Amino acid sequence: MASSCRTVGVLTLLLAISAGLAGTARAQDVTQKGFLDLKAIAYPQTTVVDDTNVVGEALLRYEIAARASRWLKFVGVLDGRADSHDQVRWNGLDWSDRQAQRPALGVRRLDATFSRGSTTFSLGKQFVRWGKTDTVNPTDRFAPRDFLTVFDNEYLAVTSARLTSGSDASMIDLVVARFTPSRIPLLDQRWSGSASSVPVVAIDDRGAVFPNRPQIGARWSHVGRGYEMSVSGFSGNNHLPVIAVELVPTVQPVTPSQEGAVPQVAVTRIYPAIWMIGSDAAVPLAWFVAKGEVAYIGSSDGRTDEYFLYVLQAERQIGEWLIVAGYAGEAVITRRTPSGFAFDRGLTRALLARASYAIDTNRNLVIEAAIRQDGSGNWMHFEYSQATGRHVRVTAQATWIRGGENDFFGRYNRNSNVTLSLRDSF
Amino acid sequence: MNRPVITLVLAAALASPAIVRAQDAGQIMMEQQRRTDARSQRWEGLLQVFDAKGKVSDKRWVFERLGAHGRSKSLLTFVAPPDVKGVMLLVLSYPDRASDQWMWIPANERERRVALQDRATRFFGTDFTFEDLEERDVEQYSYSMVGDDVVDGVACWKIESRPKQAKASQYTHSYIWVRKDNYAFQQFENYISKELVRRLKYSRIEVVQGIWSARVAEMTDFRRRSRTVLTFEKMLYNTPMDEDAFTVQALRRGK
Repeated sequence: MASSCRTVGVLTLLLAISAGLAGTARAQDVTQKGFLDLKAIAYPQTTVVDDTNVVGEALLRYEIAARASRWLKFVGVLDGRADSHDQVRWNGLDWSDRQAQRPALGVRRLDATFSRGSTTFSLGKQFVRWGKTDTVNPTDRFAPRDFLTVFDNEYLAVTSARLTSGSDASMIDLVVARFTPSRIPLLDQRWSGSASSVPVVAIDDRGAVFPNRPQIGARWSHVGRGYEMSVSGFSGNNHLPVIAVELVPTVQPVTPSQEGAVPQVAVTRIYPAIWMIGSDAAVPLAWFVAKGEVAYIGSSDGRTDEYFLYVLQAERQIGEWLIVAGYAGEAVITRRTPSGFAFDRGLTRALLARASYAIDTNRNLVIEAAIRQDGSGNWMHFEYSQATGRHVRVTAQATWIRGGENDFFGRYNRNSNVTLSLRDSF
Repeated sequence: MNRPVITLVLAAALASPAIVRAQDAGQIMMEQQRRTDARSQRWEGLLQVFDAKGKVSDKRWVFERLGAHGRSKSLLTFVAPPDVKGVMLLVLSYPDRASDQWMWIPANERERRVALQDRATRFFGTDFTFEDLEERDVEQYSYSMVGDDVVDGVACWKIESRPKQAKASQYTHSYIWVRKDNYAFQQFENYISKELVRRLKYSRIEVVQGIWSARVAEMTDFRRRSRTVLTFEKMLYNTPMDEDAFTVQALRRGK
């Protein structure tokens, strides 16, 4: 917490100095926007660890952007959250996004961007997104997400320094970041992935061990005649954890109703050191746009596999339909049988598809699916969204998840849900 | 003389009786194009969609273009309503091949190469299609004079245009009304076979920095029975623009 405060302090000071330097600018261009999002999620089924059927969530997001001069711009985004299911925790103003629960009040983004010609330098808490494909991005190594509800996830920013330089045709992107983990499902909640047949054990959550070393990466991208491609490299830690499990001799009942000894295990989230080399490409063809992405994830850490992840997809616009279809695969080179939460690998060996339809300026329809190639699991998502008036949008969603006991989708067999959300943007 | 015409760059140069008296349809279109030439252009658009029930929805954006028609860079930035604010579309046009297009959606925090095989796709659900908004190469169409006509009390040449290659356009043919007094576009009617599918009508045509420019464009979609009115505000030509603002890198930093 102390280091988080220091980080905020340093950044605030830095931004203040920058703002002062920019005070000579003739005019300031300030824009702001935001929204209040209210969401109700209904789960028809309960799980072994969670008998809640309805969850309510509220999110207030405020964004302000200020262009102090032609070469200096600030962006700040603040999130305020509340929910009915202990997924949100008040811990003051959160900067690091390292706690298991969502912060009640958090800095989503705060960065300063300096631009000079074709060179851009950004410093602060910012989003760094790599890759070209959808749903699964093997090269997107600076992009942790909030996976508290697994499939309905959101990207988290990383505290980093980023230098981008180059021409229209070729660009180099250098990033140094402080480690930010993905937020994984809470162990005592339905998205923990406990199957109905798993015996109840007492879990002693011993938190996470965060790496101290910096995360570094470089990406060279090129836009050619009729294609674009990138090559990227990364050295750091996987933002998705492996779970170290240790049997605890001391036995404590989980609930008063349970009798006798209950096995107790201690779990710790560990983020293994990895390196990545990857590439992505997009080629607009006459009938569709072909996109592909591949990455090799290597590690000297004995708790994680070494593997290739790859995605091939085709996109086509047909009238008001945008259709994306593809395949995500993996090839394990060194198998070390880790246990953990690996969303990216969980969606491999699967056919991925997305179809969106713009009914008119105010109404949209989206259908998404991931279907395991051997039919052992699937995830389907339907969404209808309608704007009413100039500020309000209502969205109805239905998610269907099924899979075998050993399948990633199967972990969430009892989490099919219906969601209704209302967003008032300003 | 391989210069394209932007359908929505609603301009024609100052009428000068001494310059052109051509009655040939191709020459008229060439002259119309010559008079629209500008190194850069900027305007703010208010777009209002009226559906069959008369319901209105608004969108606002800023459009900036840098470069000559055949090799231009365009950036469109939505500023309203709030849920699309910050969405940007970058279009790099080339004289000899299809344009490169990227979309920036703030919620995704990443640029996205746009798949746009179907130019008949409606532009963000409005009655304009992407083809209606993109640059057109005069030489990709053949023109024939239909005759003289009067639209909204204005004397015009009525010209028929047909794409030289069938796949070049969603429309089989169009009728174009070009004003005789200043060579500005007055109206387009776009057909698929014998069916009139869209009509684009220009109004409030005024001189802006020496270029005749329409302030309002109204597109009617006869199939959907809806119309979209696009109002051009704060229009500027040949205004200084930073070339670095028209890059993928600029999309990432919010321009």
